[in-house]
This record gives sequence, structure tokens and C-alpha cells, in this order.
Amino acid sequence: MPEKKPKPETPATFARLPKEAPRLGVYICYCGGNISDVVDCERVAKVLGEQPDVIVARTNMSMCSDAGQAMIEEDIREHKLNRVVIGACSPFLHEQTFRGTVSRAGLNPYYYHHVGIREQDSWVTHDDPEGATAKAIRLMNAGLAKARHLEPLEPIRLEAKKHALVIGGGVAGLRAALDIAERGLKVTLIEKTPFLGGHMAQLESVFPTDEEARPALHELIEKVVHHPKVTIYTSTVIVATKGCVGDFQVQLRPVARGVRGVAPGIQAAIEACPVEVPDEFNYGLTRRKAIYFRYPGCHPPTAAIDWEHCTLCGECAKVNPKDIRLEREMTTFQITVGAIVIATGFQPYEPRPGEYGYGEYPEVVTLPQFIRIMAMAEDAGELMWNGHPVRQVAMIHCVGSRQVPGVHEPQPDGKVNDYCSRVCCTATLQATADLRRRFPQIRIFDLYEDIRTYGRGHEEYYRQASLSGVRFLRFHTEQGPVVIADPTGEHPLVVKVNDYLTWGEELEVPADLVVLAVGMMPGPIEDLIDVLKLSPGNDRFLLEVHPKLRPVETAVTGIVLAGTAQSPMNIQESCAAAEAAASKVAGLLSQGLVELEPFVAHVDLGRCTGTGACVDACQYEGAIQLETRVIDGKEVQRAVISPAICVGCGVCVSACPNRAIDVQGWTLAQYEAMVAAIAAEIPALVEVEA
Amino acid sequence: MAEERLRVDALVVGGGIAGMQASLDLADQGYHVALVEREPSIGGKMIALSKVFPTLDCCSCITTPKMSAVAHHENIHLFTYTEVKTIEPNGGSYLVHCVEKPRYVDTGLCTGCRQCEYACPIDLPDPFQMGLSAHRAIRVPFSTAVPQKAVLDIDHCLLCGKCEKACPVDAIDFTQGPQDLVIEARAIVLATGYETTPRDAKAEYGAGKLSNVIDGLMMERLLAPTGPYLHVLRPSDGKEPDSIAYVQCAGSRDETLGVSYCSRVCCMYAIKQAMLLSGALPMADITIYYMDIRTFGKGYEQFYQNARAMGIEFVKAKVGRITEDEYRNPIVRVEIMEEASRVEERKHDLVVLSVGMLPAYDPRPLYGVPIAEDGFVEAACPNIAPPMTAQPGVFAAGTATGPMDIVDSIVMAGAAAAEAAAYLERHDGEAKTYAGRSISMGEKEAIHA
Ligand SMILES: Cc1cc2nc3c(=O)[nH]c(=O)nc-3n(C[C@H](O)[C@H](O)[C@H](O)COP(=O)(O)OP(=O)(O)OC[C@H]3O[C@@H](n4cnc5c(N)ncnc54)[C@H](O)[C@@H]3O)c2cc1C
Ligand SMILES: Cc1cc2nc3c(=O)[nH]c(=O)nc-3n(C[C@H](O)[C@H](O)[C@H](O)COP(=O)(O)OP(=O)(O)OC[C@H]3O[C@@H](n4cnc5c(N)ncnc54)[C@H](O)[C@@H]3O)c2cc1C
Repeated sequence: MPEKKPKPETPATFARLPKEAPRLGVYICYCGGNISDVVDCERVAKVLGEQPDVIVARTNMSMCSDAGQAMIEEDIREHKLNRVVIGACSPFLHEQTFRGTVSRAGLNPYYYHHVGIREQDSWVTHDDPEGATAKAIRLMNAGLAKARHLEPLEPIRLEAKKHALVIGGGVAGLRAALDIAERGLKVTLIEKTPFLGGHMAQLESVFPTDEEARPALHELIEKVVHHPKVTIYTSTVIVATKGCVGDFQVQLRPVARGVRGVAPGIQAAIEACPVEVPDEFNYGLTRRKAIYFRYPGCHPPTAAIDWEHCTLCGECAKVNPKDIRLEREMTTFQITVGAIVIATGFQPYEPRPGEYGYGEYPEVVTLPQFIRIMAMAEDAGELMWNGHPVRQVAMIHCVGSRQVPGVHEPQPDGKVNDYCSRVCCTATLQATADLRRRFPQIRIFDLYEDIRTYGRGHEEYYRQASLSGVRFLRFHTEQGPVVIADPTGEHPLVVKVNDYLTWGEELEVPADLVVLAVGMMPGPIEDLIDVLKLSPGNDRFLLEVHPKLRPVETAVTGIVLAGTAQSPMNIQESCAAAEAAASKVAGLLSQGLVELEPFVAHVDLGRCTGTGACVDACQYEGAIQLETRVIDGKEVQRAVISPAICVGCGVCVSACPNRAIDVQGWTLAQYEAMVAAIAAEIPALVEVEA
Repeated sequence: MAEERLRVDALVVGGGIAGMQASLDLADQGYHVALVEREPSIGGKMIALSKVFPTLDCCSCITTPKMSAVAHHENIHLFTYTEVKTIEPNGGSYLVHCVEKPRYVDTGLCTGCRQCEYACPIDLPDPFQMGLSAHRAIRVPFSTAVPQKAVLDIDHCLLCGKCEKACPVDAIDFTQGPQDLVIEARAIVLATGYETTPRDAKAEYGAGKLSNVIDGLMMERLLAPTGPYLHVLRPSDGKEPDSIAYVQCAGSRDETLGVSYCSRVCCMYAIKQAMLLSGALPMADITIYYMDIRTFGKGYEQFYQNARAMGIEFVKAKVGRITEDEYRNPIVRVEIMEEASRVEERKHDLVVLSVGMLPAYDPRPLYGVPIAEDGFVEAACPNIAPPMTAQPGVFAAGTATGPMDIVDSIVMAGAAAAEAAAYLERHDGEAKTYAGRSISMGEKEAIHA
């Protein structure tokens, strides 16, 4: 496929064409009942059809359908319409759709105005059909007023850097990086910690394939690491960004690894380190040194210094002075990328101290910890925990998930985790299967609300667990299990639970080990949210623009989501999301050109006197600047806009004492006309509104 | 006869939401795509749904613009009413022999005005309305169909010629025959979708003979603004139901039907329909009999909790049998699991079977793509590369790869597009040997056979 040479264009100057008389087409969408169930669309069309300049006014069950769009196109051609006003859902959904329609009919796409009569009317005024109809007429009438003042505009075309930044080196980030690179674009991947792989590296065999996690992960890592288009920075975070899609200038801050290369004899240096800290790889079950490998065979295969805990005592460097340097700081550097993929992953829910006995009894562990316990356990004989052989295990589902306000204690931010974490059910049952296979003598109790083995191959774990004698007990949220010390002393713990599979009777399950199937929470990415101006949802995971129309895109064009940064997902789902994100990035950047909306400030040089008030008011560095020009032989200062940086916020418009600035597509004249129309008397409405 | 051959980068099979999205994602990257759909319109199952969870957007609002975008995209060649007959490998590409079935309507002339439809005297059960109402033997498939072209069901046509007379543009052509077409594609995306469990699959549930026992898709039509009655009425007597029950897992997690897997969407669609029914029939009692509620997606658990708060009754129960009384009211025999499996018979006005998903198409004979035990396309590397199949250059997306909802189908389609694009780039060199990039651009060239 031959690529079009990107031709960076200077922002178009907008030749104001001689005004032709407006010929308006007005369209009111039923929205499949969403609007027409409340608003009398036919009446709206009739009233609007009688307004000045309106040539046609029509309705349709679904204006955005091909038939609806074809109707508009035909009207534009046949009736020589030069302005189109559509009343439908929020412009956020289908403004782009109708711009396409209008431009296919040969009209400048900005000769169209969209009025939201669903979100702003029928949905919020559903108990008052008469009022909603009147409101629709008013809103549409204001739309007509604006439409009469519309000017043709051209999108801003920018050269797009064929380079993407991927943030996060877990399986999702790696997958996205590989797909983007395979598409021929450059990729920079940054990982906050010194090692790649994220949480997948901490798993052993993974559902639904029961394949070994790390070999599968390493295969992917190898491909990414060796791809000529990919550059990876570990121990690196993003500290600032500027710019927009096609041209994000990103400031990266790396931290030194402290160790160089394979560093022969590094094991002796590690042994020499006097500092011991909990090893996060085993979720604190074991300890490691302040100079460490994440796990044997990890990527990169170079040890790293844990600066947070290193005392700079120099013991390790004494053993290996050649490869170890105890200097943490490195300078920040900048890269310019066209798009950003966020793959910052999740963190397992950390139960509150005392929640189901967690932190109180050493026999209460989380599922991630249990997976590590099983990984470290010897296969022969008995499973030992805390010095005792394990004879009975209780698994408790939905810890930190599906929480209900008033039943569960809120998190520090005041919210409860009301969502389902979707991987824990299958992960628990898979761990159960592993336990059953290796230690068949252990009795297993599974305390659940609903078993959600929804995915392909997941149900099989549930079936096998039932067949292998795992005892399932169903509790209700309001009456969750309680973990206490075993009063008989026979086992360390007893779990009390009301089992609703047997009339809600309270049962006591003695246990040597209680495993909490903890849910997923997004990683601590407040900094990133700030730097990139992202919006988290109510569940704190990053929010997509629309789950169906744009499921992996954020509200910031050019920033996309991959994996569990968006919501709980398993590996397969994380990879699918990452690949979908890669598709979006490739779609944006592969042509080397991006188009931005022209809704940016525009200076009327005839009115500008160079006061600089706009420059002072502007919040976006470089968006508006004063330039020296020669007018009538005199050197004067005039404001100039950089359309790629300007966000069209309009602050400069209000700051300008000369009314010399307007936001294109939303000019003062347009607003004034709309306000006048909103307030105007509409004969057909006199009765309704009286 | 002249045979038309089209060279494209990728062939997408199936024009449901997954196939449409995969086509758009590839086309947006500059690849040329041929989309082949066997029905007269694209849109798949989704276009027949009412509103869609979890946002409760009207389904047309999401689907029709995508259909339109597919139809208008300069890099997408759309072939509806077309089936793939044979495929042969051709040194780095596939030669795909297709047949466009005769519509008996000249699509170049037809404007979709429906005059033929109004003139036709034959009424047939309308599959789009799940058989709840009728369509004519010649008709535009449904109001938002793409393309908006009529199609004639010749098997039921009387050849009375009324349509021919009514057509203002002389588009009716009874002599039309199947049209051969060869597509040369370097990569293939299978998006052949799903079918639902047949309503008569289970004898215990009346084997499809109880008229007030309907399935989930029929309820979608009853709830849709373009539905058959524009009201929720029960089929036997047109009465508004006061008591509606959902039977979950009717065709899923059921060894007796050979379907041991969970169909993933039925919990959510039942809850969605229950919510929509509460709006349409505020006085109706709605009960959902379930084994486990699996509202696992983003925002889905909250959706479920809202439904509970709205007063929809959730009963953990197994439904053993459904019969009917003399007024054709369904009687449901339930084993209430939270009461130690106490058995009870409950009468409702209408019962909805939350039928599961089955594969719609077996890709083995033509594409050599293996299927798993559940009948859906088997992924070669399910965790790390979900859309990849064992067949080089062939990828799969959406419900062709197992039950999933629209969000997941769309994401998976994007993933398949990424995999296909990477494959196309990797095999760029090979492609040059037979075609070269400059001519793998989708221009049509006639090759005389
Ligand atoms: C107990 C348990 C068992 C599981 N078992 C299975 C299983 O058997 N099968 C299965 O399919 N799935 C399983 N999963 C799910 C699986 O772990 C996840 O789907 C997968 O790891 C998600 O990958 P990710 O890349 O989205 O996130 P992560 O693995 O969390 O990776 C995110 C990466 O981003 C880095 N990062 C974070 N913030 C920043 C920042 N600001 N800048 C730079 N880098 C940053 C992190 O350090 C990390 O390396 C299990 C999950 C749990 C909790
Ligand atoms: C009752 C019900 C309600 C639902 N409600 C929701 C909801 O509210 N929200 C939600 O997210 N999901 C919902 N779903 C799920 C949703 O329908 C699917 O996720 C989605 O439609 C899958 O799209 P698809 O493209 O994979 O498959 P399909 O829609 O089945 O599309 C496949 C297409 O391929 C074509 N095809 C098949 N074989 C061939 C072939 N050999 N050659 C050419 N073409 C072929 C078919 O004709 C069809 O057009 C619901 C499902 C049901 C049953």
C-alpha cells in the first residue's frame, strides 16, 4: 500500500465567501423511540418547517441510519440546501456521522449544526411530553439561528509522528507495543519498575489453557525486545506532556538501574547486601535484598537496585565495582509521539486489616499469595503453612468486589468497590484444581455469591471442582462469612457462614488456611491521570469514550487504553484490548497525518490592536502569541493563533477588549443569535408555554 | 463468461458488528477490504436488538451508523447476499470464489422505494421479526437495511408480475442468475457470528410448541421501536402480560443439550429486557430464574444491582419443566435452590427462554480453520493472540470465536484487524511476487475465464 506523503499544512485561512441566502434543512430524529416516545417529533418538524429560510423539515426513525443519511444527502442536492440542522442524540455520538453525510452531498461539513434533543430533552424531561416538545422546538429554533451564521471551515491538518508511547510493561503493554511495531510504526515502551511482565509473571499456570505463564510471557517479551522498531525504558515514568494527537511532547524520567549488563558474579554482590525487604514478587511472603532480580530468568536479565530501600552502604559495589554504580539520578529526556497507549494495569485488592481475619491471623492469605504459596510448595507429602499441615482450606469469593454500600466498609476514598472483578472466580477454581491435584487429601470449601465462570473453558473448572468434591456454600452479601480463631483449637481458624443452599443455616467450617479471592483495583496512577488529563470512572478505572462506539479510546484524542487499566480483565481480554488499541493507533498514525477540529480561536486582524490581553489570559502555552507585523509601513504587534495548541476554550475571546477574537464554529455572533432565538416568541408555542 | 476478480488486502466474512468493525479498523489503516455477507443486508444479529446493555442505547443508534460507514468507506467493497464457495491458496494469498445470489432486482436501479413490496400479494413469516409478523415475498429486508435494495424470495413467488408493474424504475428482473466473483485476498477475518439455541431444543420446555414461551430474540423484537406490534403482547392472544418469567441458561450450561459452556450474554440481556419491560409494562411482575448471575463486565454488576432495586425478582432456581394451562398460561416447575431445592409450580403469562449462543458456521471445510469442542473457532494461542487461528493469514473475531457481547465483539474485531495488519506487513515481500503493492489496491479488473 503506497503511503501518501504527509504534507503538513499551515492552518487554512478562512476565506469568508460572499453570503448566499440560507437554505435550511431541518431533521428531527425519533431515535428509535428514545426521543419520539416523549417529544412529538412530527409537531416539532411542522413548527420548524414554518420558520424563515427553512426549505425542508423532516423526521426519521433513525436519522443516523443509511436511509436517514441518504434522505439528507438527497435533500441537499435536490433542494440546494446550504445549511443543515439535525435534532437527535448528543453531538458526541453522531456529529461526526452527519458531518460525513453533509460532505458526501458536496456541502462543507461545517455547514451543519447538531442539537441534542435526547440527552438534553427527552431523557431529562420524560415526564412532561408537552414541555419536552416545546423545549425541542426552542432548542431547534436556536439551532436554526446559529445555522444561519455558519461559515465553512476546514479541519486542521497536522503531520503525525509515526511513533507511539506505550506506558506499562505488563502483558497488555507488551502486546500493544508489538502490534504497533509490526504495523511499521516506532514504539517507545516505558515501565515504572525495573522489570517487565507485570502481574502475569507472578502467575504459574493460567486459565483457560493451563499453560505456564512465564514461558508464554517471555516469548512475547523476546519479540518486543528484539523488534527493531521498539525502544524500552524500564524504571521510567512520564512526568509531563504537551501537545496533542500526532504531536505529544512527552517528558520521561528514568531512574538508574545501578547495575550494568549481565554483571558476572552479581549473585555474590546480592548476597553481600545487608538490607532485606519484603519481596513484592511473592506478595510479601518472602524477603529479598535491596539489589535484586525479580525472579530467576526475569527480563531484563540484569539486577537492579531498589533505591527506596538501598542504604548506599556500598557492600555490593565492593564485590562488583565494575558493573555496580550507586548513583540513582538520571536526567529527564523528551520524546515526541503521535499517540499514547495506557497499559498501567491493576493491583490486587489489599484487604483492610481484620477483614476476614486478614493481617490478624497468618492463616488468612490472598489468592495472589496463595498462588505463590503453591508455587513454592514441594509436591511431596503435605502442604505446610505456618508450621502446620493444611487439612482444610476455605476459599472466600468477592473480597473487595461487588461491595454494597452500608454492608461493606468504604475504601479510603469513601467509595465501595461495587464492581465485579471477573477473573477471581475462575482464578480461584483453577487454584482449587491445582490444590486438588497436588494435595488430594485436603478438603476444600468454596464460599461464593455467584460463580462467574463465564469465559470459554472457564465453566470446566467449576464442573471439575464440583466433581472433585469441593464443597460449595453460598452466602448472601448482607451476611458475609466471618473468620475467627477455632475455639476447639483443632484447626487455627473457623469460618462461620450462612449457607443459602441449605436454608441459610449457619455452618462452621474449620480451616487451616483461608484464601481470600481478592478483586482488582487500578494501579496508583493519580500522577498519570493528572499529567495526561484523563478521566477515571466511578470505579476508578480509566474511562473509555463509549463502550460500544469507541471502547478503547479515551476522551483525549490519541490516548488509548489497553488491558486492566480500563477494567478487570483476564490475560486474553487484556491482549484483545491491547490489540484493539494498537489498531486505533495504527489508524491514527499510519497515514502520517491527523485531522483536528477547526474549533479554535481566530483573530480578526482588522480589529486586533495588539493589547496582548489574550496572551495573558491564555492557559495553553504557545496557543496565542504576539507577532510583529508591518502594517502601513509601521511595525505593530498582532495576536497569532497556533491552531494545533489552541483548544478553543474561548478565554481569549472574553479577554479581548476589541472583540477581535472568535472561536471558529462558535462565534459571538452565533451565540447572540442563539440566545435571541431561545428567548424569542414562537407563535406555535404560546399556548403550550402559557 | 467474464469473471470479475477483485484484489484486496483482506477479506472479512460476515457483516455483523464484529465483521463491520474489523473492516472499518482495517480500512481506516489504509488497507483494502472486501466484506462478504450472506444475508441481503449487513448488521447481523445486533441490528434486530432493541436497546443494548449496559448503556441502554437504542441499538440502531450504534449499529446503523456503522453500517453506513461500511457502505461509504472508500476502502471497503461490500458484497451482500454473497457466499464463499471455494478457496484456494495462491502463493501468499487466497483466491476466494464467491457467488452473489440473485435478488431478482437490479441493485443498480433499485432505489428502495418499496413499491414492489406494497404490490406483492404474498405474506411470509418475517425472520427479522423472528416470525412474529409477516413480510412480502419481495421486500427491502428491514427499514435500516444496508443496502436499501429489494430482494425477492423466488421460492415463494407466484411470478404474478405485480411487483414488476409497480416498480417505477424497472428494476425487477426475473431472469437474474447467480453471479460469480473471485476475490484475491492476502488475509482473511472470519466474523461469522452465532445462532441461538433453537426454541424447540428442549422437550422439557415444551419443544417450541407452547406459544407463550418465547425466546430472548423474540422479546428483543417485542421491545424494539420497529417491532411487530409496537407493544409487548403475548403471542397466543395478544394480551399484555402481567407476569413475565425468564428462564436462564436455557441452552447453556446444559449437558443434556451438549452445551456445557456459559453463553455470557444471557444474564445481562435478561436483566436488560426486564428493565425495559418495567418501563413498557409498569404493572407487570418480572421474575428471573437463574443458577448464577454473571454480570461480570464493566458496569454490569451495577446494572444488576439497579435491576434488583427496581423490584425485579431474582430467584436462584432450576427450571425442570414448562407446561401450560387451558388458557395457554405457561406453568413453570422450579426447584428453588435457596430453599433446599424445594419444588414449586408457578404460573406466568409469558415465559422468556434466555437461549444461549451456538456457532453459526463451521469454518473447517472451506478455510481449514479448526474448531474447538464447543464448535466455535479455535484460537491457536488464546491468551496472547486471541484472534489468531491455526491457518496462516486467517483470523477470527466476535462471536465466531465463542459467546461474547457487543463490547467484546468490537474489541475483538479491533484485535483481529491488528493481527491481520501485522500479518499483511510481515508478508509484504511475498505479496510483491504475485501482485505488488501497487496493484493490490482493490481496483476491479475483469479476467476472462
Ligand atoms: C490472583 C490472580 C490470578 C490470575 N490468574 C489468571 C489466569 O490464570 N489467567 C488469566 O488469563 N488471567 C489471570 N489473571 C489476570 C491477569 O493477571 C491480568 O489480566 C493481566 O496480568 C493484566 O495485564 P496488564 O498488562 O493489564 O496489567 P499488569 O500486569 O498490572 O501490568 C501493568 C504494568 O504497568 C506498569 N505500570 C503501572 N503504572 C505505571 C506508570 N505510571 N508508568 C509506567 N509503568 C507503569 C506496572 O509496573 C506493570 O508492569 C489473574 C489475576 C489475579 C489477580
Ligand atoms: C436476545 C439477545 C440479546 C442481546 N442483547 C445484547 C445487548 O443488549 N448488549 C450486548 O452487548 N450484546 C447483546 N447480545 C449479544 C450480541 O447479539 C452479540 O454480541 C453480537 O451481535 C455479536 O456480533 P457478531 O458480529 O459476532 O455476530 P452476528 O451478529 O451473528 O453476525 C455474523 C454475521 O455473519 C454472517 N455470516 C455467518 N456466516 C456467514 C458466511 N459463511 N458467509 C457470509 N456471512 C456469514 C451472518 O449472516 C451475520 O450477518 C444479545 C444477544 C441475544 C441473543
